[in-house]
Amino acid sequence: MSLISEKKDFKIISDLIPNGSSIIDVGCNDGSLLQYLNEENNINGRGMEIDQDKVQLCLSKGISVIEGDADIDLFDYPDNLFDFSILTYALQATKSPKTVLSQLVRISKKSIISFPNFGHWKIATSLLLNRKMPISNKLSYSWHETPNLHFCTINDFIDLCEEIDINIEIKANLKNYKLRKYTGKNFFDSYFSEAGLFLISKK
Amino acid sequence: MNENKIVKLATDKPLTLDCGKSLGPIQTAYTTYGSLNANKSNAILVCHALTGDQYVASSHPITKKDGWWSKVVGPDKPIDTNKFFVICPNVIGGCMGSTGPKEINPETNKEFGTDFPVITIADMVRAQKLLIEHLEIKKLFCVTGGSMGGMLVLEWLSKFPEMVHSAIPIATATNHSTQNIALNELARQAIMADPNWQSGLYYQSDKTPLKGLSVARMAAHISYLSKDALQNKFGRNLQDKNELEYSFDADFEIESYLRHQGYTFVDRFDANSYLYITRAMDYFDVTASHNGSLIDAFKKTNAKVLCVSFTSDWLYPTSENKKIVKVFNALGLNVSFIEIETEGGHDSFLLNEPKFFEALKGFLNSTLKDL
Repeated sequence: MSLISEKKDFKIISDLIPNGSSIIDVGCNDGSLLQYLNEENNINGRGMEIDQDKVQLCLSKGISVIEGDADIDLFDYPDNLFDFSILTYALQATKSPKTVLSQLVRISKKSIISFPNFGHWKIATSLLLNRKMPISNKLSYSWHETPNLHFCTINDFIDLCEEIDINIEIKANLKNYKLRKYTGKNFFDSYFSEAGLFLISKK
Repeated sequence: MNENKIVKLATDKPLTLDCGKSLGPIQTAYTTYGSLNANKSNAILVCHALTGDQYVASSHPITKKDGWWSKVVGPDKPIDTNKFFVICPNVIGGCMGSTGPKEINPETNKEFGTDFPVITIADMVRAQKLLIEHLEIKKLFCVTGGSMGGMLVLEWLSKFPEMVHSAIPIATATNHSTQNIALNELARQAIMADPNWQSGLYYQSDKTPLKGLSVARMAAHISYLSKDALQNKFGRNLQDKNELEYSFDADFEIESYLRHQGYTFVDRFDANSYLYITRAMDYFDVTASHNGSLIDAFKKTNAKVLCVSFTSDWLYPTSENKKIVKVFNALGLNVSFIEIETEGGHDSFLLNEPKFFEALKGFLNSTLKDL
């Protein structure tokens, strides 16, 4: 993922969050999103990260961080503890995306989820024409070394939310970085969005 | 700067202990490192473990060895004494100058021995609080310690939350597990089974329970190491010999090593102190005065906390440390957690563990910006 789009993603997440919100960023990486939100939204934030080197980076920045695994450690939090949980570009790397999503909407009032869209036309076309696993900006690993276990398309994500009683409130257009109220599946999104970013909550 | 100091505390009013008895005036022996800043906001209280003492970063007067945390505390070390004022007191019940069984009971002018009241971790913290007040420090920048030191940290967070800005409990637990009580009981029975123990009244005698204390230390030492560490360090190597001797001498290196650990320990530790301090650890349950609720025990704290565990520690395993993380999370506190991968066992917090040091340094230096 290029830095430019990362910063734009940060901005769009910041736009979704009221100032002073309590937040957990699951798979918080080096804590840069939390730092951004600290500055922009004055949040009460903390992270969870599986990679210890990144945990160390967070600690050195003064960010509270739990070395932990989203598939296991989200169970430790009580219901509705946070205003927001955030999971950016990590859903596809979890063992059980279904469990993780259910836990996220359980421990927070709202969740912000982003993921690479495997249904993007370039990926679909690349697979069709080359018959090789696609590599793009947001899918940057070769098939044999990818940490990603469960790729999905935007439509798959919408179906899963439906299945586990999750309400999609807002979706972001990551092409022009606009937020829109979610009104249902959309042909253009599923073909032309390299990634999906949704604001969800439990029904 | 780092010479041993001794202060008399609880001179006006004795300490009321958990057992109902009172103790006082009490004596506390402590060391300090670095300097206290003008608004007294940079003090770090370091709490020692069962057999530790106040010589955290200075040469031990008996063993002449480096302080037990000299890798961690000092100029440019993870707990940087260029920035922080470090205080390390010997706990009450100890044997390096603080009021304990081998000190003189002012009421009888004889050593306390087993007349010393049974103390708890909370009692030790009450005594530490008197020292901090004596030093005119209103709020500690950080309280830290490993093993029993970590229990003291948790008790500080629970009992005196307004006095703690941040805390680093390391390789510890919110109460003592059955297995840990069992191991401590083994150690105490070894001491008390030694005829030289004489019901704890051995101070005026020329016989002291060195063998019992030595066995206690040997058993404990095994629990501080991991199976892999023992296996890799000693294997089945023989000690200065090529063949088995078909005797009960120390044939194996591990036997010789443990005997050495036992023999050298008795030079610097008092058998009765071992009984009292292990008892305090067994009695430890931070929820004791909160109807068993961890949430209630910590609900008044708003300290920033870093919990640390070590993968091969089977005495205070990661699962026990994660219970602490879980309750602080549930309270919505700023808690961090890191598990250090090592084969060093429980003793890892005393060893050279660069990832552990990095976490301490990162946490303390970034928290310093809050001041």
